[in-house]
Amino acid sequence: MSDIALAPRRACTTEARPLRAALIALAFAGLGLLVFAPLALVFGHALSDGWAASVAALRQPDALSAIRLTLLITALTIPLNAGFGIAAAWFVTRFEFRGKALLITLIDLPFSVSPVVAGLCIVLLFGANSAMGGWLVAHDMTVVFALPGILLATVFVTFPFVARELIPVMIEQGRAEEEAALTLGAGGWRVFRTVTLPNIRWALIYGVLLCTARAMGEFGAVAVVSGKIRGQTATMPITIEMLYNEYLSTAAFSMAALLTVFALLTLLVKTLLEIRHSDQLAAMRRH
Amino acid sequence: MNIDIDGIAKEFGTTTALSPVSLQIPSGALVALLGPSGSGKTTLLRILGGLEFPDRGRVLFDGSDATHLSVQDRRAGFVFQSYALFRHMTVAQNIAYGLQARPRRQRPSAPQIEARVSDLLHMIRLPDIGGRYPSQLSGGQRQRVALARALAIDPRMLLLDEPFGALDAKVRKELRQNLRTIHDDTGLTTVFVTHDQDEAMALADMVVVMSMGRIEQVGHPQEIRAAPSSDFVREFIAV
Amino acid sequence: MAVLSGRLIRRSAMPGLGLSGGITLAMVSMVVLLPIGALLARGWQFGPANLWEVIHHPRVWAALFLSFRLAFLAGVANLIFGVLLAWVLVRYRFPGRRILDAAVDLPFALPTAVAGIALTALYAPNGAIGSIAAQAGLRIAYTQWGILIALIFVGLPFVTRTVQPVIEEIDREVEEASATLGASRLQTLRRVILPMLAPAALTGFALAMARAVGEYGSVIFIAGNIPMKTEIAPLLIVIQLEQFNHDAAASIGIAMLAISFAALLSINLIQIVTRARMGHV
Repeated sequence: MSDIALAPRRACTTEARPLRAALIALAFAGLGLLVFAPLALVFGHALSDGWAASVAALRQPDALSAIRLTLLITALTIPLNAGFGIAAAWFVTRFEFRGKALLITLIDLPFSVSPVVAGLCIVLLFGANSAMGGWLVAHDMTVVFALPGILLATVFVTFPFVARELIPVMIEQGRAEEEAALTLGAGGWRVFRTVTLPNIRWALIYGVLLCTARAMGEFGAVAVVSGKIRGQTATMPITIEMLYNEYLSTAAFSMAALLTVFALLTLLVKTLLEIRHSDQLAAMRRH
Repeated sequence: MNIDIDGIAKEFGTTTALSPVSLQIPSGALVALLGPSGSGKTTLLRILGGLEFPDRGRVLFDGSDATHLSVQDRRAGFVFQSYALFRHMTVAQNIAYGLQARPRRQRPSAPQIEARVSDLLHMIRLPDIGGRYPSQLSGGQRQRVALARALAIDPRMLLLDEPFGALDAKVRKELRQNLRTIHDDTGLTTVFVTHDQDEAMALADMVVVMSMGRIEQVGHPQEIRAAPSSDFVREFIAV
Repeated sequence: MAVLSGRLIRRSAMPGLGLSGGITLAMVSMVVLLPIGALLARGWQFGPANLWEVIHHPRVWAALFLSFRLAFLAGVANLIFGVLLAWVLVRYRFPGRRILDAAVDLPFALPTAVAGIALTALYAPNGAIGSIAAQAGLRIAYTQWGILIALIFVGLPFVTRTVQPVIEEIDREVEEASATLGASRLQTLRRVILPMLAPAALTGFALAMARAVGEYGSVIFIAGNIPMKTEIAPLLIVIQLEQFNHDAAASIGIAMLAISFAALLSINLIQIVTRARMGHV
């Protein structure tokens, strides 16, 4: 359907051609300055000394340890978040109880809390001079400046992602299909596996993708709780900061480029999913 | 199977869905729960099916207390208002679902399930649609598939929530006859909810008129027409 | 859960009440309630008077005001550009539209530290764009302009993504009706379309602003971090924590939490008011 063919008939519902062209140019210019230019710059700076220098920088032991740590944290965050998201969406959409609005607000809260404040909260809760922290130290467990703290900070900042995607989908689908399965004799797990999961699967994957992107890139909250110990608690974003502050530009941008590739991959899968997802939504509307 | 409803009451928050209601349904009857929206008829049907639980009162199936029997163990064939077909499964998979959900020891073999699905598709006179998806069916076809799916589990009773609500007039008449035939062939105690007095009168052996969570009158269609027990019933069936 | 069932929770045939409720409440307590409770408890122990003294310190006050003011300005910029972008993406067909559409999500996906160093390198006086601006006598990086650009970057998707579905749902007949009544295209845009987009756009604005107030990663590289001038509130928390001054950090954290709550509350108010007026959104 070409715009030109429609133009005469739809003249009153679109703008004059010069205005249209100007708006499109503005959109390109704005996104060019804000998004495309920085993106190009990351790869340009990363490869400014050639591929070999870039790859060598990423193969430093500290860099490898940062990559491993970021992948580990992401791999641990995803199931925790997906499990919580599914449970919360089921609880909120399949039962009637008092305080539901409050519960949803609490689930959403991490969206509007500064990541630095999130990190601060965790330090205050588990830090060495808090009550809980003192107990933990006495039992030889550390949360702050160690893996559990980084994990908790990452789970906090990604907390609402899966639940937020699932709740509207499950409200829209209603309970009738699940009730039908129950009347046909299916038990709880079977209903979830054979009826609920196929209906929410794309929304679930979508939420997991958002969660993945954020978990890999979280900086503020992790910066506060990690202690930035090189080779131990420095994630990829933290390592980028340390390298950048030491004026190791190629190394910093190489690490940044690798993270950007991860981000672009999740974005690509997400875009593909949106195309398929919309097909599914159309099928649902036909039903 | 006969159903004995004994003083069932149900509230949602501050609204009363059912003031205590009592009703005896004889085995093999075809019963219409008739009333305007908000009269409590759907709540009563869902309590019979085990989808809601009463605040007070008991439900007896053949004399034994079924009030707290789980929805799975009731084996009530339930047809939902929206049909609630599983949209990601074919018609055949929909119909086979209840048989496949049985514990392994009671589950029929795959060929047996296939044969049962085929029988049911013939019974609803749609033998060739097993491979289609619900979105590819007409409204009337969906309703018949939902009925076949409910019958597949060999139910002890048949419960239908506004089974003809979403259909146009011609299909509605045809499917009324269809339900009557299935009821007569299977002999299942059947309860359906409707707000359409024509439908209740034309189809049921026994009509239960409900209003605001109470039962106004119970009787054969002719009895109700001849002697409405209240102004509400007179006005409601006159529409 | 058994204790809760009955009056608090309506009995239901749906399975999994105990499991789903148990997981949900345990996770919410562990991840959200306990940590935020720890912050509030710390502030309470410190005492409201001391807390106020910390916040009222000129350097802290300047940082809080800077974060709030620039977040507001970034929100306004995103409001204007976001609506424009949403309109272009939904209504016009042109080569590169899909790429443009995907690029809107990039600030969500791109790690903030990456965005921070990239924007800094780009807008620094010796950077590709910064050098052009420098010739015009404008310094971007290491000034408030730099912070503003970083905040516009992180808030970019919010307005566009909330407004896009609303534009898709606009009934063309409304525009045609406006035209048949003699309105020019610009009048139709201003008096019919924009009011329809306003609630969603304001929601997006509030979301973008809430995000910008707390933003840290993309800002600290480009900000220069000069006290009283380009020092943002989250950075002050980090500095206090590095000096193990937990009371002061908690005080600033509580102030920021209050700003976040105000933003969240205003989002809900916008939605309640518009829902009452227009019946949906």
